[in-house]
Amino acid sequence: MAPQAHHDLMVDTTHDEHALQSYVSNLRMYILNEIGGGLSSVYEGRVKPAFEKRAGHAPQDEHDVRHAMMADPYCRTWSTMMRSCQEMIWDSIIPSIERAQPELNIEATRLAEHPKGSMTLDPNVKIPRYVSASDIHLMPGNYHSERGANDVSQGALYDRGVYVYAAGNGGPYGDSIGRSLAQHLKIRFPDLQPERILDVGCTVGHNVMPFVDVYPDADIHAIDVSAPVIRYAHGRAESFGKPMHLHQMNGERMTFEDESFDLVMSVVTFHETSHTAMKNIIAECKRVLKPGGLMIHMELPRTAEMDPFDAFYIDWDSYYNNEPFYQAFTSTDMKAAYMDAGFKEENYIEVMTPDIYAAPFDTFEAAASGPETKAKRYGRLGESIHWTGWGAWK
Amino acid sequence: MSDKIKITPVNRGKRPAFFDDPAIDQLMAIVMSMSAEMSVLYDRVDTIERLLDNKGTLSRDDIEAFRPDQDTEDERNVRRNEYIARLFRIIHEERESLVSHDKMDEYNELMDELAKP
Repeated sequence: MAPQAHHDLMVDTTHDEHALQSYVSNLRMYILNEIGGGLSSVYEGRVKPAFEKRAGHAPQDEHDVRHAMMADPYCRTWSTMMRSCQEMIWDSIIPSIERAQPELNIEATRLAEHPKGSMTLDPNVKIPRYVSASDIHLMPGNYHSERGANDVSQGALYDRGVYVYAAGNGGPYGDSIGRSLAQHLKIRFPDLQPERILDVGCTVGHNVMPFVDVYPDADIHAIDVSAPVIRYAHGRAESFGKPMHLHQMNGERMTFEDESFDLVMSVVTFHETSHTAMKNIIAECKRVLKPGGLMIHMELPRTAEMDPFDAFYIDWDSYYNNEPFYQAFTSTDMKAAYMDAGFKEENYIEVMTPDIYAAPFDTFEAAASGPETKAKRYGRLGESIHWTGWGAWK
Repeated sequence: MSDKIKITPVNRGKRPAFFDDPAIDQLMAIVMSMSAEMSVLYDRVDTIERLLDNKGTLSRDDIEAFRPDQDTEDERNVRRNEYIARLFRIIHEERESLVSHDKMDEYNELMDELAKP
């Protein structure tokens, strides 16, 4: 694991905590790629033929595949390892944060004293049930748990957790999706010169921060329902010297004025909300968007376009990794959802971009300037990593 | 240390048992944790060896203060990955030696054929 870019809210680890986190990321990559890479041969080689023999037809959908695969010993072993490893990620980080928390909160307060950006907290924001009721991807305390005044501990846990999870493959700033999106938009829509950009569900602000680099003249705003992650995001951005305006706000009920942003985006936010919340957020994005502005949401690929095995693989997390809205979200028709919110069909766009860190730059550039790229497999399925997004011009 | 925070789950539901006997899931979790502990220990020995190479002597503080540079981290990544591959070889081997359903039918037919008097 390459080192994470240092900032003033990063938690010190002991010698052994560092060694443990490094190992857990090595182990996760092994389970994901070396063990997980065998799942499709197990499916094609024995699970699917046995299903066909028994049922007289091929598995019809991801549920057929899941029931058959989860009875297979190889898939069970992979599953139990995935689950345990996910728990190990958090376990490898928690002690260092429990120890560091008092100083961390003081440091966050110090970083907020002479800011380049700003922070607006709103104690009236009620934590929605889709956040309060579950530890999403098994992160203890989820995004919102607050432990005393000025607390940033969940921000610290998420920041390091995502880094270990991705084994550093998201780049030193863990911003690969946001940076890929920003660069893609810059190349594909040279006339888009946003003055105000909004990120909905920003957590620690890692995926919106690259917009500060790519659109240096724009004001960058970002919202999240959780005060601890907003405080952390603010301190982190200030520590990196990147001006960002952080707001504790619910994307379903924003307090921004109508038609006040040129670009409204999110990165993997929707799949951690709910169907109702998603519809509300899309409607709010439309409201705050200026005419001619662009809304774009980077998310998990649509399972409707996949064969049943790939859909099973994508949606495994919904059943076994505490992602309660994941499966329902990946089967939602985004285009239809945008039309329902009043966006015009001719203004609908899709983004499929190679990862900016993994792909050579000319491949990346070609994907942004040429006709729409179609990858056979993308995201974490990927032989080549692609990120997908759904957008609409207002 | 009474005011130290405790980071605990909100709600994870019931932990899934992937095997018919949940003890297998528990055993796998224990094996994985043990593998991690051993790797941490190995890194610590590696730190001690590197410090001794450079200084010929060391203190506990030297060990605690040691952070691998990128070259050291790269070497450790290679060693850890080889270690993981050795440890979980039995699982990976199943992937390598996977015999398809059709091939098994063929094999059974061959057995019958060869057994004919």
